[in-house]
Amino acid sequence: MKQVSGKRRVCGNTALIIGLALLAMQVVAIVFAPWIAPYSPETADPINALQQPSSSHLFGTDVSGMDIFSRVVFATRINLLISVTAVAIAFVIGVPIGLAIGYYKGWLGSLAMRLFDFIQSFPVFVLGMVLVSVMGQEIWNVAIVLAVLFTPVFARLIRAEVLSLRDRPFIAAARCSGATDRTIMFQHILPNALTPAIVQISISIGMAILLTAGLSFVGAGVRMPTPEWGLMVSNGAQQMILGIWWVALFPGLAIVFSVLTFALLGDAAKQMFDPQTRSTS
Amino acid sequence: MTKVNQPLLEVRNLSVGFSDGAHSLALQHVGFSLKKGEILGIVGETGAGKSLLARAIIDMLPGDGRIVEGEILVNGHAISKMTAEQRRGYRGGEVALIGTNAKSLLDPVVNVGEQIARILRAHRGINNKDAWREAIRLFEQVGIVDPHRRAHAYPHELSGGMAQRVVIAMALIAQPKILLADDATLGLDATIQLQVLDLLVEKCRELGLAVVLITHDLGIVASYCDRVGIMKSGRLLELETIRSFLNDGPKHPYSQELLDAARVRPLPMGYDQAQNGSQAPPLLEVIDLVKTFHVEGSSEPVRAVDHVSLTIRKGETLALVGESGSGKTTTGQCIVRLLQSDSGSIRFDGTETLSLPDRQFRDVRRRMQMVFQEPYVALNPRWRVRDLVAEPLKLGERLTRAEKQTRVMELLDLVGIASVKADAYPHELTAGEQKRVGVARALAIRPDFVIFDEPTTALDIRVRAQIIDLVRDLQKRMGLSALFITHDLNSVRSLAHYVAVMRHGKIIEQGPTEEIFANPKQAYTRKLLDAELPIEARAEASTPILQTEQQL
Repeated sequence: MKQVSGKRRVCGNTALIIGLALLAMQVVAIVFAPWIAPYSPETADPINALQQPSSSHLFGTDVSGMDIFSRVVFATRINLLISVTAVAIAFVIGVPIGLAIGYYKGWLGSLAMRLFDFIQSFPVFVLGMVLVSVMGQEIWNVAIVLAVLFTPVFARLIRAEVLSLRDRPFIAAARCSGATDRTIMFQHILPNALTPAIVQISISIGMAILLTAGLSFVGAGVRMPTPEWGLMVSNGAQQMILGIWWVALFPGLAIVFSVLTFALLGDAAKQMFDPQTRSTS
Repeated sequence: MTKVNQPLLEVRNLSVGFSDGAHSLALQHVGFSLKKGEILGIVGETGAGKSLLARAIIDMLPGDGRIVEGEILVNGHAISKMTAEQRRGYRGGEVALIGTNAKSLLDPVVNVGEQIARILRAHRGINNKDAWREAIRLFEQVGIVDPHRRAHAYPHELSGGMAQRVVIAMALIAQPKILLADDATLGLDATIQLQVLDLLVEKCRELGLAVVLITHDLGIVASYCDRVGIMKSGRLLELETIRSFLNDGPKHPYSQELLDAARVRPLPMGYDQAQNGSQAPPLLEVIDLVKTFHVEGSSEPVRAVDHVSLTIRKGETLALVGESGSGKTTTGQCIVRLLQSDSGSIRFDGTETLSLPDRQFRDVRRRMQMVFQEPYVALNPRWRVRDLVAEPLKLGERLTRAEKQTRVMELLDLVGIASVKADAYPHELTAGEQKRVGVARALAIRPDFVIFDEPTTALDIRVRAQIIDLVRDLQKRMGLSALFITHDLNSVRSLAHYVAVMRHGKIIEQGPTEEIFANPKQAYTRKLLDAELPIEARAEASTPILQTEQQL
């Protein structure tokens, strides 16, 4: 019975299938980029600048003659690397903070919350530009900026869950059964509080991809000639009015698909982690 | 005027099915008829199809449910042949449904007076001022004290009983001819339940309504209904006048089973022994325990537990009875130190526990366990039964994995859970099984003393009886001492040697169970005892209610 329902859960979920398919494409792009890309992503070829999409340049070339297809493929590495790293850092830091300030309340928790308010009330791009300009335009710095932005998101989510869980009768029951604070936090509360945060991972990765692209677009992200989708869109935008559409369009589509991937996976994760829908149907 | 002999409501061979691929019908060939002024009790366990029957009668089947066979006639007219317009008139006007959770039926952002006034304005076309005056009159009629003030209250500010009265008032506005009460008093205190039911039945008799009283409590049926129908898995097994049901006995074995389960068990074993040993030192001694809560927006702290003293000796069970909010559960939680007590003394086997630091309290915890009220929410939803039962074992001596395994299996066997369920999650268990897991957890480290917090509430008749039998068995086999927090007096008689009656945080009366039940000294205790609706009391020849029926 369980297996059947598990199977139905995976098969019946089109969002999950499309999401996984898109993710698989990106993984392939990341792993096999040197073999997929026909040209080097960072080699300029001024003679062939601004070529229309053709059989030799699938997505055309940009203003310095770099092959856009190759750059879009290689940029998958940079963009996902930045986003996944940023979200991973935010998760690893945010979850324990949220757990601690939710469980112990106290003034330290209030202080942390006000700090999160401060971070989150700052316009994202202003904060990003300030931090990146202070630390330098390196991809790791972009990742750190994003991690700083996302840590409060995870901490808040976990804290809210913990606050509602800590007064639930099963926690009292566990305490009666001799569970220590640590057992209660990590074995009783955390597994029950994690679902929204796990769903948020996927959503955050999508947002991180957008933000990375956005930061590059406004010039606060990575620098040329590093292949990065936002930077490519930014470069292409200047030619857009001249009718040269392909320079900005293809990296733009890559952003769309990548963000969509993680949004779909987030949706699927939400359904899968809900204990009520799990194994009862 | 309808003809005298024509039934007001007639359900003919009704079958209801869902089109979601389930092969069996949710209701199968249900048939009964109801005359003006008659009260029919429908009794059955969870999933018997009682609520579905009510929804079918009010023509509001949930989801994709539909009538497969048979029909429902009101005053001789089949609902299925009515126009949409007529059906609407029927639903709002001729038949009214009162559901279980009154608060969820009320609009949370509108005060209750306005909610009633709205309906009055819509139905009677009176102006706002008159509607409010009428609303307050209705509140008075349904026994709401201080109706002027209450009318301005929002639903969350009302108690469950009050909210239920508001809903009853609402249902009566349109002057329906048929009233369906679907477990309308579930979750209310016994005294409140009695008041609400008295009110409901009195109003219905007064107005000559036909009532279908759906419940899982045979006591209610025995006390209020003219006829009783027993339902199981979508079938109406038996339909009988209440007198012949109780006096001549049910005809269907399942009905008999229900009736047996609802009866009081004889006093628990070990009673004599406990009485003889009254010189034995007490196992638990609570003296002048005080616990106050600070309520936001009020400077006056609430005394939830107010100088409570009680004593439990080895092998004894003390029942702490009282209505919700009387501080029973708080007392229990103070004893197991889920709440910090303000003052007083709790002595367990000679050791004062209130002053013990948490680390040393662990040793006490090993001997003192608690079974929590709501079976489902007291279990971590992500843990398997196996792990849930094994958790308290940490308090005891170190066990190997295999020893733990055997211990868990022993415990599951002790509380009567099949070993195949060991890997199930709580939501895959029935309410009764969840309760049993709760009991197994409490017994895991063989405690000397267990607090049972409302072990029998919200359970089906047979499950409740099984839990009572389980606890009785444990008392006998393990010589368990227990504090039994409940408002279910029937189970008190079956389980407890002593009773303490609690009200507003104080214990107002305590003594041996038989004595308290036979000769209560406090007026409040009498009121509490009167609110119990025992089946036995109604089994005699005739009751006042039945007499009124004869007069009709």
